[in-house]
Amino acid sequence: MSSSTEPSPRLLTFTLVFGICFAILYVVCDMAALPMFTYHPATDRLEFGFAPARRDEGPAMYWYGWIVSSALGAAVIGLVAAMLPKHIGRKIPLALAWIVPIALVPVLVYSLKFYWRW
Amino acid sequence: MDFVLDYISVNAFWTTLSVIHALLAVALLGALTHQAAAALAPPRAGVAGGFVTHFRSVAGPRYVTAVCVLWVLVFVFGGWIYTKYRIYVRIPIEQEGFFKTLGVFELKEHLATIGLGMLPVYWHLWKNARNTAYDSARKWLTVVLAAICWYAFLIGHIVNNVRGFGL
Repeated sequence: MSSSTEPSPRLLTFTLVFGICFAILYVVCDMAALPMFTYHPATDRLEFGFAPARRDEGPAMYWYGWIVSSALGAAVIGLVAAMLPKHIGRKIPLALAWIVPIALVPVLVYSLKFYWRW
Repeated sequence: MDFVLDYISVNAFWTTLSVIHALLAVALLGALTHQAAAALAPPRAGVAGGFVTHFRSVAGPRYVTAVCVLWVLVFVFGGWIYTKYRIYVRIPIEQEGFFKTLGVFELKEHLATIGLGMLPVYWHLWKNARNTAYDSARKWLTVVLAAICWYAFLIGHIVNNVRGFGL
């Protein structure tokens, strides 16, 4: 990551760590049911945290809540990483930006095992 | 947005949003595919080529802002119509027993979301395209985003074919 033409190592560290952590936290939030909020689309109701579907009120949606949870978590971790000494940030391999999302695909496929009915 | 429903039907409104989502996805797919091809297999200097050479001869950095804006727009429209999908599309497909169709669509939503989180570093790497230390990460990050985009586009098309418009 070291280069004389590198304009902003702290910004690079933040975006890199944010991308990695966002992907990991999103999968964790999905598998551990950790949405920031639950949305009930049939009634337009929002509830903080995880809430099961209510009787006669249609399904509950957690996807929006997972996005907010993982974005906030990744932003905090990214900011902390960006504040670390530059030589530590430079040690984070750039390749993790694309390897981590690929590595998470089998985990996501497994998390959807309910749907793989043959 | 309720005032719009004074002029068009509810079905027409959501169908319009779905078509806008699809058209934006087409633009994103084209931009990312050109950029990924240029990053993966840049043409050799001085070689006069045909269609494929011209296809991958684009200036990658010029696409980065468009790709980020389009990804966010496609995502916002997708997230908007997702509320109706959950009730009026997913439930009937569940009742028909097409679980694998639903599974690949859920995977599309997950991958599109992870792609959204990759955009800041993607943007940073392309905005500093002269930095050769970024070349490998920039190339493979772009290829992964293009692969996600192709998967999402095809699966969205399949699910739309399963359920259809205006039902």
